[in-house]
Amino acid sequence: MSTHWRTVRRSLAAGLVASAIMASPTLPAIGALGTTAQDEGKAEIELWFDTTGGAETAECIVANVVDPFNEGSDSTVVNATMQANGWQATRTALAGGGGPDIVTTPGPSWAIELANAGQLLPLGAYAEELGWGERFVPWALSLGEVNGELYSLPTEQETMVLYYNKTLFDERGWELPATLDELTALSQEIADAGVIPFAHGNQEWRPANHWYLGEFLNQAAGPQKVHDFLTGAAQLTDPEFVAAVDLLTQYQQNGWFMGGLESYYTTTTDEMHATFGDGGAAMLIEGTWFLSDAPSFFGEEAGNTNEWGWVPVPSASGEPTFDLGIGSTYSINPASANPDAAAEFLDYLFSAEAQGRLLAECASAPAPIDLDDSAMAGIDPRQADIIQQLNAAAEAGNYGYLMWTFFAPKVDSFLTENVERVWAGEMTSQELLAEAQAIHDEEVADGKVPPIPQRGA
Amino acid sequence: MSIARTGDAGLGRLGQGQRVQRRHRVVRKKVVPWLFALPTLAINLVVILGPSISAGYYSLTEWSGVGAAEFVGLDNYRRLFTEDRSFHRAFLNNVIYLIIFLTLPMVMSLVAASLLAPIRRASMVYRIGLFIPYVLPSVITAFIWTSLMDPGRGLGSQLARIGIPWFDQPFLGRSSTALPSIAFIDNWHWWGFLMVLFLAGMQGIPADLYEAARIDGASRWQEFRDVTLPGIRPTIVFMILMTSIGAFLVFDYIWILTQGGPAGASEVLATLVFKAAFNNFEAGYAAAIGLVMSLLAGAIISVFVFLRRRGWEI
Repeated sequence: MSTHWRTVRRSLAAGLVASAIMASPTLPAIGALGTTAQDEGKAEIELWFDTTGGAETAECIVANVVDPFNEGSDSTVVNATMQANGWQATRTALAGGGGPDIVTTPGPSWAIELANAGQLLPLGAYAEELGWGERFVPWALSLGEVNGELYSLPTEQETMVLYYNKTLFDERGWELPATLDELTALSQEIADAGVIPFAHGNQEWRPANHWYLGEFLNQAAGPQKVHDFLTGAAQLTDPEFVAAVDLLTQYQQNGWFMGGLESYYTTTTDEMHATFGDGGAAMLIEGTWFLSDAPSFFGEEAGNTNEWGWVPVPSASGEPTFDLGIGSTYSINPASANPDAAAEFLDYLFSAEAQGRLLAECASAPAPIDLDDSAMAGIDPRQADIIQQLNAAAEAGNYGYLMWTFFAPKVDSFLTENVERVWAGEMTSQELLAEAQAIHDEEVADGKVPPIPQRGA
Repeated sequence: MSIARTGDAGLGRLGQGQRVQRRHRVVRKKVVPWLFALPTLAINLVVILGPSISAGYYSLTEWSGVGAAEFVGLDNYRRLFTEDRSFHRAFLNNVIYLIIFLTLPMVMSLVAASLLAPIRRASMVYRIGLFIPYVLPSVITAFIWTSLMDPGRGLGSQLARIGIPWFDQPFLGRSSTALPSIAFIDNWHWWGFLMVLFLAGMQGIPADLYEAARIDGASRWQEFRDVTLPGIRPTIVFMILMTSIGAFLVFDYIWILTQGGPAGASEVLATLVFKAAFNNFEAGYAAAIGLVMSLLAGAIISVFVFLRRRGWEI
């Protein structure tokens, strides 16, 4: 089946699903779980959540986490509400003195803003009582601290990897790259063969720019250098960072991302994945969230016989480096009437049992907690491999820094927006990074940069 | 005397009655209308005046949108006018958008309305057909046109396959064409509404004016210029006013189609406000941009009011 028709089919299917959900009398099951007679007398807490996977993933989360919790708890019932643009809704509600009992944010930097404004409850006492300090990996839990106090818990440990169309690679005899030089040479070879090297596009999700920019900063300049920048020991204007942005610009201007900048800007997420699955493009640099979508674009469901594989994104040195990030954070609203009940739910949500089920049933990236090998049973071995290698790198402290987790929001936003001007030739990499450094300095002075864990921690 | 006293008393009662009547009349004319308007006024005070005042205050602060705001005086405005290139570019894009919308849809709808005005048979079909895009939600319209303009699978690529080139270009992905393409899509949704308004205005022009013009030997163009245009001048001027305000407040089509990209080529003031408030945690700065937008709209309305007071029939 062609990319075009599958994309059309998916669009229609998405429309039908959306219509069905809107019309469905079962919507309250997702929109807001109703309480039953057996829930009477229990403390009720509100949870607003958002997923990139849409209604299907939302149902899966409710079925595998919220429902089992409600059935098992003697004292608490969770009313879960799927909120599109949940962050905006939450922020507005909090500003008005309301909002859900459990507050979710898009990442640690956002949680810092709320914590500084007194809109999050300190979690230190709960962490001590419930043993969260031992459960979470140290680097991740420290991201939720503001002035030494814990305010948020991280979920969805993410990294970026280089996915490749294994069938296409096998057919063409292309070698997997380990270094950036090899990746550059391979991209040229693929383009010469008439295939698009990378299936990338940002039509639907403009911030996709920071996936690539973050990867090039970490892999070309090195994670130690990025750490130095984040801790004030290096400047973004240093030659290593300028060279990294120049390299990304070269990739863009060569047309290696989806065939050219103009296509990159007009390619939707489904189109880029379909092009990758069909073999129209050979590689894809994307986060671990792609794993839940991969079966839709490879194999029987996608109407092709292609296979995908993965390697770490090549680095300048050739040493495999995983850049770490957090998908979102969970906190407790200080205005909550039942903070203990909210903590009880968070304790369950971040248990190995619930995270294992989310991983196995919903293909969701697990929170950065210690999961044993049994949690990997039944999941795609390639996904298990990524998680295990990522955990090993994180434990060894040998990891890079994804922009949306470790950079101040304003710096991230500035770079994400304005790197397009570098690609368009309207400004230089040096100018972009100099402005970003100035913004970073202001953000550091204002205490808006997340705490950066020590390397090797 | 008694009569006189009675008369005086009668006059007194009459005077008192008149005073009561006058008071009732005053109450009926001056107070009752305000009582009817009071709920609306109260709502406006709460949802418009209150937020406007608070936006004015927050525009003078450094505020993240949550927590306490720090008063910084006019610093946000200094940054806006002297430092922020994004603001200058967005403002310029709004001006370009305004120029496009004051010309293209105006001309198209005037021409279409004057062509449709004499048609009697199936006229409603034409009108509904041209009006339908206006009632479509912007998300739907944007989705339709994103698909149609897709260089790989849209209308352009189908035309290219049958030998008609040029249309299979990434109009929304190119800096030079992104803003005009969005304006084209927005115009597709807007001009039918304009056309219906102009048509309604034209139907209010007395037929004998056209008859007299024809007797005087006027051509179709002269009829249009000397009878139609003056006849619908109030409608035209009002729609110029509405279009001008709309061009400075445009947000939905740009956000859905390009989010201001590529490389800021379609950035406008409203998208800048959103990004400042929600992506950058600069709600104070966003309030300053928003206030400038309101002042621009206010300036346009002031010109309109000024011209009316000068006796313009608009």
